[in-house]
Amino acid sequence: MIKKISLIVLFAIFSYGVDATIEVVKKFKNLPIITIEDGSIGENSFHKSEKLYKILIGDFKVSSHFRVHNSNKYMRSDFESDPKFIEYKNSNVDLVLKYQTKLEPNNSLEVVTKLYDINTNELVYQKSYNTTKSEKFPFISHKIAIDVNKYLNAPSIDWMQKFIIFARYVNKKESEILISDYTLTYQKVIIKGGLNIFPKWASDKQEEFYYTSYLEKPTLFKLNIYNGKREKITQSDGMLVCSDVTDNGDKMLLTMAPEGQPDIYLFDVNTKRKTRITKYKGIDVNANFLEDGNKIAFVSDRLGYPNIFAKEIGSSAVEQLVYHGKNNNSCSSYKNYIVYTSRERESEFNGKMFNLYLISTQSDFIRRLTTIGVNQFPKFSKDGESILFIKHYQNESALGIIRINYNKSYLFPLRVGKLQSIDW
Amino acid sequence: MKKYISISAFLALVLTGCSQKTVEIETTTTTPIDEQSSGGTEYTQRETTTTDITDNIITEVDLSQESRDLNSQEISDKDNIKSVFFDFDQFSIRADMQEIVVNNTNIFKEENNANYTIKIEGNCDEWGTDEYNYALGLKRAKSVKDSLVITGIDASRVDLVSYGESNPTCQNHSRDCWAQNRRVDFKLIP
Repeated sequence: MIKKISLIVLFAIFSYGVDATIEVVKKFKNLPIITIEDGSIGENSFHKSEKLYKILIGDFKVSSHFRVHNSNKYMRSDFESDPKFIEYKNSNVDLVLKYQTKLEPNNSLEVVTKLYDINTNELVYQKSYNTTKSEKFPFISHKIAIDVNKYLNAPSIDWMQKFIIFARYVNKKESEILISDYTLTYQKVIIKGGLNIFPKWASDKQEEFYYTSYLEKPTLFKLNIYNGKREKITQSDGMLVCSDVTDNGDKMLLTMAPEGQPDIYLFDVNTKRKTRITKYKGIDVNANFLEDGNKIAFVSDRLGYPNIFAKEIGSSAVEQLVYHGKNNNSCSSYKNYIVYTSRERESEFNGKMFNLYLISTQSDFIRRLTTIGVNQFPKFSKDGESILFIKHYQNESALGIIRINYNKSYLFPLRVGKLQSIDW
Repeated sequence: MKKYISISAFLALVLTGCSQKTVEIETTTTTPIDEQSSGGTEYTQRETTTTDITDNIITEVDLSQESRDLNSQEISDKDNIKSVFFDFDQFSIRADMQEIVVNNTNIFKEENNANYTIKIEGNCDEWGTDEYNYALGLKRAKSVKDSLVITGIDASRVDLVSYGESNPTCQNHSRDCWAQNRRVDFKLIP
């Protein structure tokens, strides 16, 4: 009897940490198969309805919680009629998503959807999505996918609805700052003219962001994307970057160089007080808050090459975090995990590869996340389940997203300019 | 018997209702009605909701004029002031660059240049993440400043800035090009 209880307890313990898809698989035995049908018709239908269709397919695939039926076909149907239940059942399709678009002369867009559960012959829900600016249709697609995902009670993919903010070089000493959706389909220039770089969201609300503007001296500003209000935060000789912001937005980690010496500073947003954290005479940059915000991970060349270190704020002791690679020049943190960029080859750029690695600060765990190209500037999502990064490959730059628990990576090329920095 | 007749009648009614529905899906052949009928047609419409996507993001902030005003303060480079070049991932001045630093220092000390501020701009090649590159460019600029100060230039005359990888002189993806971009430039500001 005791043996049986022990086995049950052991099974329960192992079950807790298993694959993130297990809740999704439970409901449908395997990953559910979804098919999408466009029921848009008539002169009022949105001229990019097929593009919306493709983004929807991409959203379901990127979520890693669905398989898409006939993903290479553009399926159309009568929106008011029922799906072909028997045929779909025979094809093992679980869900049918129908939608219909309507574009008004004033550019407002409505997308009406119906979700059918083929296994229960149910119209599960009917939802409508509206925007006054039709160019924001990618966000409608993402919201549709999020809602279908919620019906499954699958792990959240709310991050798809978030803005990406990025800077791109467009000319020598000239850049632009844009916001976009995660596929880069929707893009809006927020700042143009001059050299304005390293945008960083001020909070999860994504209403304001910090960025560095090259005026007489590098100057950190905060800009509100809804009312255009711009506030000067601080300035520095040499260089100035906002590397990380606490979840409640009250503190920042800055790289500043008051006398031409780049070091990491803790900046209190409310009191405007700066506290110098690193004092090494070489390069200390790219700090990220660790754990409860009393510790940081950062990049330093104090061993003669860029590598990843940690230190407690207020302490002089420094801990080396990475013992692999000879050029680890960028990092991001989530709880006790660090993702960093590492140059792969010993000889100078033979093969030109920088790959991303994931490590734990509390074990020997290490995992390579990319295989080719120049992969830089990794950023964890707020929930720690995805990593945003920049990839430069064959004269093109792309936004990359890694879905960590599903071991999948997706790339979205930038057609104009070169990606300089990103945040989400 | 009556029970079986009732059930049959009910089924007949249901089947007849189904036969009046038509479904067209462009990419497949039309399914025969009798196959479709066994799927059932009773639905439960659970919810209808509307979601609005927020739209009121500002139009772009154009800082082009600010940038032009700043650049107009800089005079064009004097031809005899030369850039200093660096090895990959290094900010120490190479032996073969020492003469350039000395020559530039002599130019800065000339009487007709004595009132200019010397702006030293650090730059990098395209490799490495940009935040590290801005710091590396700055260290290069500082190395050069330290050399100027040692040779007698007043430190207060010198400003430092790093442009990271934002200011390449060439954009070919070649070793020669990368070597040209790993450099420090000089500007004289009135």
